[in-house]
Amino acid sequence: MLRTTRTTRTAALAAVLLTPLVASAPMALRPPPAAQSAPSYAYQGTVHAVNVRAGWLEVITGVGMALRLVHMSTSPTTLLAGSGMALRLTDLKPGDFVRTDCRRTAAGLVASHIEKFEVPRP
Amino acid sequence: MTLRPVAVAFILFAAGCKKPVQPGDPLPGLARAERDLFARGKVVFDSEFTPQTGLGPLFNSTACAECHEDPKAGGSGDEVEVHATAFRGPVCDPLVQEGGPVIQQHTTPALKQALGIDQEPFPPSATARAMRTSPVIFGRGLLDLVPDSAILAYADPDDKNRDGVRGRPNRTVDGRIGRFGRKAFVATLREFNAGAFTAEMGITSPDQPTEENIGGKPIPPGVDSAADPEITREALDLADDFVRFLAPPTPAKLGKDGRRGRDLFSQIGCATCHIPMLRTGDSPVPALRRREFAAYTDLLLHDLGPDLADICLGRAAPADFRTEPLLDLRSAQHFLHDGRAASLEQAIELHGGEGAGARNGFKVLTPADRAALIAFLRSL
Repeated sequence: MLRTTRTTRTAALAAVLLTPLVASAPMALRPPPAAQSAPSYAYQGTVHAVNVRAGWLEVITGVGMALRLVHMSTSPTTLLAGSGMALRLTDLKPGDFVRTDCRRTAAGLVASHIEKFEVPRP
Repeated sequence: MTLRPVAVAFILFAAGCKKPVQPGDPLPGLARAERDLFARGKVVFDSEFTPQTGLGPLFNSTACAECHEDPKAGGSGDEVEVHATAFRGPVCDPLVQEGGPVIQQHTTPALKQALGIDQEPFPPSATARAMRTSPVIFGRGLLDLVPDSAILAYADPDDKNRDGVRGRPNRTVDGRIGRFGRKAFVATLREFNAGAFTAEMGITSPDQPTEENIGGKPIPPGVDSAADPEITREALDLADDFVRFLAPPTPAKLGKDGRRGRDLFSQIGCATCHIPMLRTGDSPVPALRRREFAAYTDLLLHDLGPDLADICLGRAAPADFRTEPLLDLRSAQHFLHDGRAASLEQAIELHGGEGAGARNGFKVLTPADRAALIAFLRSL
C-alpha cells in the first residue's frame, strides 16, 4: 500500500515537473516557405480611377497602410466580368473591388482579365 | 514522511499559480523555440535603421521600438503621426497618388538635399487630416486569430436590435475584413507589421518591395541607395514573431470598487462594443490556439460622432472608428486615436454617435460609481 502511494506521488510529482518540458518541446512554427513562383501580374484591389476613352484603370493595392497604385491598360481582348455577367469598362467605378490578371508589355501593364466582385453585407 | 505531502502540495500550488504577465512579456506557454524567436525578433524590433540600411527616404521613425516603447517594447509612444485622405462620399480616396494615406514627417539627408523638404508634402487633394498616436501592440497575435465569423457575429449594420449601435466591418483594399489600425483597414497582423516597416520607416521588404513615392513624384535618382528589399524575409518574420508573441498584460486583481466598476461597464453599455472576451481560432502555436482573452473590442467600426471625425479609410467614413481594444490602460498617459483625451473620464465623455448612450450612462453615474468604473478600466 505504502509502495503504491509512493509510486502515485512520484508519478504526480514527475507529471507536474515534466509537463512544462513536454509542453515546450520544439515544434514547426511556420509552414515551409512556398516555392518561388514566377513574377505574377495578378492584382486584387480597389478601383481608384477609370478612363474609358483612353482604356485604362488604376487599382489600389498594397500591404497594410503601405498602399500602391497600379496603372493598367485594357485592350480589345480584355475580358471584363462580374457576378457571372460580361461587363464593360464603363461598369467599373472608384471603390469597386476587382481581381485582375495582367501581362507586361513595352507600354506597361495590359489587363487580360478583370473581374469585379462584391463583398457580402453582414 | 509529513514533509513529503507538503512539498507535493507546494509544487502543485506553485504550478497552479500563474505569474502575472507584465507589459513586454511573451505569451505564457510558448515553447522554447518560440521564445527564442521572440527574443531574436525583439532585436529586429529594437534595431535602429539608417539610410545606409534602408531608412527612408521618407519615414516617421528609425525603429519600431522608437514609437512602441512605453512602458516596454511593444507599448505606446509619444510620437503623433499624420494621415490624410479625401472623402468623396461614399468613396474614400487614400490619396496614394499624392503620397497618402501616411504622410511621413521626416526625410533622409539625401532627400532633403535633393528636394529641400523636411517632411512629405501634405496632399493638396486631402479633405481631412488625422493625427495618430502609436498604440500598444500587446496581444495583437491573439486579435489576429479571432475568426472573421466571430467579428461578423457582432455586426449589426442595420441596428436590428434597436440599441443604437451599428457595428460593421471595414474592408481592406482587396475586400477582406479588416481588424488592425484605428479604422480597421488592415486584415492581418503580418500585413500590419510589413506595412509598418514601409510606411513608418521606409524599409522595403519581400512583402512590400517598392518604396513610396514622394508626394506622388518619383524618388530623385541617387537618393535611396539601399537595394530593395531592404530587410530580408527572415528579419521580417522575426519582427512579426516578436509582435505576434507579445502577451496582453494580466489585468490587475479587482477590489470591491473595481468589481463594481466592471459591472457598471456592462450595465451602461460600454461592453456592447468593448466586448470583454474574445476567443482565438486555430493556430500552429498552442499558446495562441483557441484562447479566450480579455480583448474589450468587437473589431468593428462604429460612428463616434462628428466631433471625433477625421479621415475616411476603406469603408470607414470620417466618423467611423474601430472599437479600440482596452489593453494596458493602466500605463496609458493619453487616450483616443489622436491622444486628445488626457484622462479616461475625458475619453468616455468624448464618445459620440453610437457611443453616446454609454457616455450618457457614465455621465449620470454617482461620483462613487464613476470612480469605480475608472478603477476597473485602470486595472486593465
